[in-house]
Amino acid sequence: MSSSRTTRNRVAVSIVVIVALVAVLVVRLVDIQVVQASDLNAQSYDKLSVGQSIYGPRGDIVDANGAVLATTVIRYNVTASPKDVADYTPTDPTTGADLPDVTPTEASAKIAAITGQTADQVYALLTADRTSSYAMIVKDLDLDKYRAVVALAIPWLYYETSPQRVYPNGSVAGNIVGFMGNDASGALTGTGGLEEKENQCLAGSDGLQTYEKGADGVAIPNTTVLDKEPVDGSTVVTTIDSDLSYYSQQVLAQQVTATGAEWGSVVVTEVKTGKLLTVAQYPTPDPNNLDATPAKYWGAIAFSSPFEPGSTFKAESAATIIDAGKGTPSTGTIVPQRYKTPGGAVITDDESHGADPMTLTGIIETSSNVGISLLSSMLTDQQRYEYMKKFHLGETSEVNFPGESEGTIRTPAEWDEQTLWNTAFGQGLTTTAVQVASMYQTLGNGGVRMPVSLVAGCKSADGTMTETPSTQGEQVVSQTAAQETVNMMQSVVSGGYAASLLKIPGYNVAAKTGTAEVSNGEGAYGGGYLTSVAGLAPAENPQYVVSVNLMKPVTITNGSAAAPVFQKIMSQVLQKYRVAPSTVPAVEYPTSY
Amino acid sequence: MTSVAPSRPRISTAATAVADPYVDPFDDAFLGDYSPLTKPKSPFSIAARGVLRRRKPKLAYAAVVVVGVFSIVVAQLMLSIGLSNGAYEISSLQTEQKEIDRSNSALSEQLDGLSAPQSLAASAEALGMVANVHPAYLRLSDGAVLGTPTTASSASGSLTNGQPSLVPNALTAAAASAAAAAGAAPAAATGTPATTAGTPVGAPSAPPAAAAAGAVPWQGQLPAPTTH
Repeated sequence: MSSSRTTRNRVAVSIVVIVALVAVLVVRLVDIQVVQASDLNAQSYDKLSVGQSIYGPRGDIVDANGAVLATTVIRYNVTASPKDVADYTPTDPTTGADLPDVTPTEASAKIAAITGQTADQVYALLTADRTSSYAMIVKDLDLDKYRAVVALAIPWLYYETSPQRVYPNGSVAGNIVGFMGNDASGALTGTGGLEEKENQCLAGSDGLQTYEKGADGVAIPNTTVLDKEPVDGSTVVTTIDSDLSYYSQQVLAQQVTATGAEWGSVVVTEVKTGKLLTVAQYPTPDPNNLDATPAKYWGAIAFSSPFEPGSTFKAESAATIIDAGKGTPSTGTIVPQRYKTPGGAVITDDESHGADPMTLTGIIETSSNVGISLLSSMLTDQQRYEYMKKFHLGETSEVNFPGESEGTIRTPAEWDEQTLWNTAFGQGLTTTAVQVASMYQTLGNGGVRMPVSLVAGCKSADGTMTETPSTQGEQVVSQTAAQETVNMMQSVVSGGYAASLLKIPGYNVAAKTGTAEVSNGEGAYGGGYLTSVAGLAPAENPQYVVSVNLMKPVTITNGSAAAPVFQKIMSQVLQKYRVAPSTVPAVEYPTSY
Repeated sequence: MTSVAPSRPRISTAATAVADPYVDPFDDAFLGDYSPLTKPKSPFSIAARGVLRRRKPKLAYAAVVVVGVFSIVVAQLMLSIGLSNGAYEISSLQTEQKEIDRSNSALSEQLDGLSAPQSLAASAEALGMVANVHPAYLRLSDGAVLGTPTTASSASGSLTNGQPSLVPNALTAAAASAAAAAGAAPAAATGTPATTAGTPVGAPSAPPAAAAAGAVPWQGQLPAPTTH
């Protein structure tokens, strides 16, 4: 009786204990699996998951033919953990057998042999702060050297990648491509030229992915999550021809050096489209090594530095005279060497001559300031001003290049008596080299001015082009006025003072020389000339404009300084673009009557 | 009678015929077998067979279940081994791809440098090439020769006229000096002559070996013009 009760009690106690235990476990289970579940999952995820940034590189800048002008390459930094620096046992890569231990001194020598440092330098970096876990050993190794260092299999070395901007063509179009710098927040960004202007198109953004890693660091299957898609920067496609730019820069550099000029610029434009094929200058910065060039030449002079164009502007005056119906290429007038205007201003011609009967063609050929002023005075000041505006003078071009100047043409109300006459031959107003080239493009294209373009578009990774420039032309002067002006300029090449320097065998060339006085910045002239040549070929159907400007050459101080540069570059352009030689004789209008 | 067979399809089965009290056994349309009516005990015999089966469980079913469970476990195991093998393979392929991408971009970089106009001009001059400033064209439509064909003069045809390049390029300069410094060692080690790839750019004193090798012998038939 009592034994059975004891048994029952024992069973009861056991049941109570078991139930209590189970209850405790259930509570704990619910606590872990339900109540704290999300917290614990997060903790475990934090321990396992690895965030990895995916690099979205900055886009390239390429020329019209796809040659890379600017690109991003990866360089490698070697870092070390000085507190872990110690002897290590390398293994033979093929057999896996242990090799003799390597001391930090020996390792330093091995590293130094690859990186070009001395062993002592490397050792000093390794031991500068033995408590630190980070020391930079060498920056920006190329791939071969990086692989050589990695192959040493030194356990306490670590590696970083470092994207770098490089310019494979060096200073070819270096003034246009621009350069990188730091923005206000210290981040690397385009700070000059197209790098700056097209920063938005070029910029890429890094992506991020996370995965959970196993004990050996390999991703656990199906745990990779792309948190943020990396975006590769788009490619800026320019209209620049890098080979032609190289040639132009080489020829220009030779002539600037030979004539002792301050600087020179060359602009080559495609007549039918308004595309800039070359915007060369000397000195040109090499974006890989900017410091080799004075900072004032880091930009594009052809856009940023306006000058008084001088006689190359007479083409504009002649075209407006014809377009306004005030004359033809054979309209004549008696041209004295010195002319006192009714308002009291005095204009003179450079070359001494008597009061000659000259046609407009003769005025262009001999580059007579008096003659062009007399014929231009048949137009009202307002008319002449409006023509200048129609040629887009006094405003930036469609390119809108960083630092681009508008040039200066004041309104007729602001012109004084001398300026009023001087503007007919390109003094008293300033233009950029690009504006001069655009003026000649208009004349070559039957009076239709095409928008100036430097960037053909922003090409994204899938090949779509955005930011394509406008191709809408504007009729500035009539086709007759434009073609007759081009024809008149052929007489400069056949009979002007620089004729022998301008001729290109086989082609009819139309060009105009210029020798402009340079303002000294204090309202007076003095201290040198801007010599220039702008022209078109072939004259009967103009395809290309070449405009050359030399600032303050010393050994030759007129258009003859720029003429050989024009001749060589125009020859190269015609040859490179396979322009067939002229089959019609040059137009010869009478130069006197 | 007007009734037709399709109106009562269920009477075609004998078992239902027994259960259905509304079936008229004398209906003319009923053409089925009358035998179930004469054997009413058949349902009981089926039940008896079922009881017998339960009393004698077959080992096969147990075996099927055990083997099934086992094979599921094995399949699961193989699957996860496969997955993790795949993970290692993916990881190693990704590493390989990364290395190949790196090699690719390093080679593109090298190519960009070699195709820079400065390098091309220097290489061309090192080969003794000159520019001909007198282009001439043959017009195919009428065979007319446009321009005056003139032989390029070796004295003045060169672009830089023997002057150093006035268009600097820090990259090619660095590459050229690096190649000049490191050029000899690997070539000697491998025992192969330095070809164009290893030749430093802009070193006119050392023209590429390809030039010294002379003319490449023509392979195959000489192309003959098709004349009419």
